Amino acid sequence: MSEHENKVGQAAPSPHLRVSGIHKRFGGVHALRGVDFEVARGEVMALVGDNGAGKSTLMKVLAGAHAADEGQFFMDEAPVSVNTPHDASDLGIQIVYQDLALCENLDVSANLSLGAEPVKAGWGFLPRLLRPLDDLEMEVKAQAAIDRLQVRTLQSVRAKVGGLSGGQRQAIAIARAVGADGSVVMLDEPTAALGVAQTRQVLDVVKRLRDTGHAVVYISHNMRDIFEVADRICVLRHGGNVATWRKDDTTPDEIVVAMTRGLDDEAGNAA
Amino acid sequence: MQPEQKLSFVDRLRIMRETRFGAFVPVLLALAAIWAYFGLAVPLWEYWGDADAQNIRFIFLSPRNIYNLFMQSAVIATLAVGITVVLLLGDIDLSAAATAGVCAALLGVLVLAGVPGPIACLIVMAVGIIMGTAQGILVAYVGIPSFVVTLAGLLGFQGLMQKILPTGNLNVGDPFVRGFARVLLPDTLGWVLALACIAVFAWLNLRKQGQRKARGLDLDSKAAVWGQIVFFGALMLATVATLNSYRSVPLLIVLLMAITALIGWVTTSTPYGRSIFAVGGNPESARRVGMNVKRIRVSAFAIVGLMAAIGGIFGASRFGSVSYTAFAGGSLLLESIGAAVIGGTSLFGGRGSVWNAILGALVIGSLGNGLDLSGASAADKLMFSGAILLLAVAIDAVSRSGTSER
Repeated sequence: MSEHENKVGQAAPSPHLRVSGIHKRFGGVHALRGVDFEVARGEVMALVGDNGAGKSTLMKVLAGAHAADEGQFFMDEAPVSVNTPHDASDLGIQIVYQDLALCENLDVSANLSLGAEPVKAGWGFLPRLLRPLDDLEMEVKAQAAIDRLQVRTLQSVRAKVGGLSGGQRQAIAIARAVGADGSVVMLDEPTAALGVAQTRQVLDVVKRLRDTGHAVVYISHNMRDIFEVADRICVLRHGGNVATWRKDDTTPDEIVVAMTRGLDDEAGNAA
Repeated sequence: MQPEQKLSFVDRLRIMRETRFGAFVPVLLALAAIWAYFGLAVPLWEYWGDADAQNIRFIFLSPRNIYNLFMQSAVIATLAVGITVVLLLGDIDLSAAATAGVCAALLGVLVLAGVPGPIACLIVMAVGIIMGTAQGILVAYVGIPSFVVTLAGLLGFQGLMQKILPTGNLNVGDPFVRGFARVLLPDTLGWVLALACIAVFAWLNLRKQGQRKARGLDLDSKAAVWGQIVFFGALMLATVATLNSYRSVPLLIVLLMAITALIGWVTTSTPYGRSIFAVGGNPESARRVGMNVKRIRVSAFAIVGLMAAIGGIFGASRFGSVSYTAFAGGSLLLESIGAAVIGGTSLFGGRGSVWNAILGALVIGSLGNGLDLSGASAADKLMFSGAILLLAVAIDAVSRSGTSER
């Protein structure tokens, strides 16, 4: 197999979000060395690599949490610039961090609309922060978001997040990230701390996201999960691309080798 | 349902406290226990123990004493409402009583110098806000823990109050200032006000229920809705009836309720209040969704400063004088923090309500009042208050342990 065939070329779906030549330096550390990455609507793109390969840095660059030193961003092939988290969320790029950042003291509907609470009409004379909350609207929206992702085990959107299971919390965090107009959702190790049943629930939510036309970036170390949900797998190593495979064209062993030794070493060994 | 039968007491407590009105139950039980002890048990004990007694004397539960109890608790309650707001953020304000002292002292000096009462009150409230804001800026922008900032504030403001009042005591005779505690609402107006409050409360609850139905959301049970309305109505009517049968409803209590209702509404029903709870629950989460955590912190300290100033005005009005021991140097600070915590507001942030602070203040006030009536020493009072505070915090710790361990 030549390197070129491993990279998905013309046959790949047209990307929704595409970045090319991303460089990021932290002082003397060159964390990303010209990374190319893309994800299309309706697909799950897994982003894998060993520790320190640059997965998290790339994700933070995509989410605007770090500004890239060099490189271009394209949304549907139109050039855009992403330098702050605000830029990213305006473009519909959302990130679910590993720690979820939910407020356990608030209920599900409050968490889902946190920071963008709907207010009742007719109180325009008050500053927005002091207008009455429309908590019914909040619940309706929350219920709709939960239904879209088909989180079946959730009893009520009025349940406090503190009382929910890990899988349910992950689903709530994903639902919040997707919101009404999120088109790219990045998940950072969503199943890392979960048991078997909870993992299943989260993977179902991820599939649901793909089926509803979202572009999903899935970061994980767990090959079983990746081979279950991912459509394509992008391997990073030492801050650069190794290759991108279609899931059906590769095996977990091949991915692990690519993560740990890269393609050149593999070719050398095989020879 | 079968599984519900097997819930332990702690589980029940936890579930109950998650509901909107359930959070009131522990503090109401505490209040009922204290009232039953001082109001019924102590008089009966004395009656049976003393052969010469002619009839049972229910001093504690007499309308006169209840009236005094409300007035005594009012200043504590005012401060406790303010302190609750910073506790919700997970911060604490140790300087509230000292701020109230400085504001009251300034008020006394201003009216003595001939400044009209209303203007003096406004000046003092502005000063309170500035004092709170300054501490908030130190906490939020400089990054000093609120405990340290307000401890420094406590010491500094105590000194400032002594500077303003070198003699340590000043009489306040201004009719406007004294009016807060002296003006009584006519009996009928008290009734009308109570009925209006009940009607509005019932209307809001029923309308909400109707809207829920219209939008297809899950409904509260009918019993819960009407239970709330009946409970609220009974509480209002009983209060007004008791106060009317001694004198009548004092303006001070009405003002306190109105301010509490306003702050209660702001904290529970506006985006600003939601952001306070969010910061108290998970500051990182609040920051990520774009809330300005620092500004929210500063504003909460401004509110506690304002409430401290209002507490100072109320205190000056009720005592007719400003003294060092009544505010900064006395037990007011610990009583008001105690009131907020007894009410069920968590010291860890994100959980609590200003209405509970009012009930907590009544618990603290009742305890002091009851122990005074039964001739207990100051030493007994302190030990009792300590035990009640410990109990309240223990209930908080037990009821939250279940939710955070999952």
